[in-house]
Amino acid sequence: MTPEEKYLLFDSYCNDILSQEERQKFSDLLMSDAELKEEFDTYTALHDYLDATFNTSTEEQELKNTLDRVSDTYFKTNKQEHKTKVIKLPNWAYAAAACVAILLGTYFFYPTNPSYADFAAIPQLSLTQRSAEQGTIKEAEQAFNQQNYKAAEILLSTLLHTDKANSELQFYYGLSLLEQNKYNEASDIFMELKNGSSIFKYRAMWFEALNLLKQKKFEACKAVLQAIPKEAEDYEQAQQLLDEL
Amino acid sequence: MKQKDLHSDQKYIDALVHNDTRLITEIYEKFAPKVIGYIKKNSGDEARAQDIIQEVLVVIYKQAKEKGFGLTCPFDAYFFLLCKRKWINQIHKTSNKGVTINEEVVSKDDGSLDLMEETALFEAKNDLFKAMFDQLGNACKELLKLTFTVKSMEEVAKQLGQSYGYVRKKKSLCIGKLTELVRSSPRFEYIKKML
Repeated sequence: MTPEEKYLLFDSYCNDILSQEERQKFSDLLMSDAELKEEFDTYTALHDYLDATFNTSTEEQELKNTLDRVSDTYFKTNKQEHKTKVIKLPNWAYAAAACVAILLGTYFFYPTNPSYADFAAIPQLSLTQRSAEQGTIKEAEQAFNQQNYKAAEILLSTLLHTDKANSELQFYYGLSLLEQNKYNEASDIFMELKNGSSIFKYRAMWFEALNLLKQKKFEACKAVLQAIPKEAEDYEQAQQLLDEL
Repeated sequence: MKQKDLHSDQKYIDALVHNDTRLITEIYEKFAPKVIGYIKKNSGDEARAQDIIQEVLVVIYKQAKEKGFGLTCPFDAYFFLLCKRKWINQIHKTSNKGVTINEEVVSKDDGSLDLMEETALFEAKNDLFKAMFDQLGNACKELLKLTFTVKSMEEVAKQLGQSYGYVRKKKSLCIGKLTELVRSSPRFEYIKKML
């Protein structure tokens, strides 16, 4: 059996398209060949893994969102409970505390660098009315707008497969990557758009700047911001961020 | 899953599968303090504990989802052991040391150590599969993504402008390639018993 035939046979087994007779023959073969059995077990485990990975990514993201929410609340309350403990202090401690407060005050009022969260306003994705390919497009749109960026990434990449030059898909694909902190991949997409001539050219530059800001690469971020021209939709925001940097 | 009776704490596993906020909150309230206490005592802080707890809950969810995992021991010990193991692994990551768990908190024969091992093995298997998937060429990655997201192979073939037979063959060759990568990895020996 050539490797090609072997893997095709494995695949037929996984997808349950073997006849009763073929199935029996295959089981006998596995019984008599331990090496083949191990390969087959690995193949099916990978098949299950890929199936689970690509098909539950939306659900997994929903669970992660719940965990984020629940654990944030839990850990915040937990901290507050610690803080509300009453500790009696000797008088000198109040003077010491006052000094610390002044020092901390000076520290916190010292201007700090702006953050990604202050500036990033992720736009809504709206694609559905435009295509006959409703299924995946609708799912992509929903996933993106529900901030399920992992699923959106997969779905948008599927769509891009057949529509490589679609700059809107590319732009939102880039945003999905950025929101997942896949900085380099996002940057590739934004730079490609920047070098193109679509309507997303300048928006891509703005989000590339935010991508760098998120990574605290302030100098590189400034350079991109300075290149955003006056006619760009995000020009004013870019100037504001430049000022803060 | 072994043919044993499920523990009543199975409800927490189900809660993760069904994304049940009320019971997930209960998991934090009941089981997080012990983990936080342990991590804080062992050169960590609350933020690290928060991450570890979340990562462990996601692994438990994945295992339940993919393998239909059933809990045959109390959630408490099982969960604590997994968090502890993950934390020790993180601390030791740079020095590459293995982890041994001899845990005084575990009551002797409740099976939690076995179940913890099973979940840890599941996680190791998934980590290896993911690492090998990342090594595949882009063409295979894209094709696999597509064939597992878009359910019908006919539809995939149409999208790619290829014949059904060609796409099926390609898909099986890509998983075949992945099979070879996984089997030639030194980590395969460890996860083999999971298959």
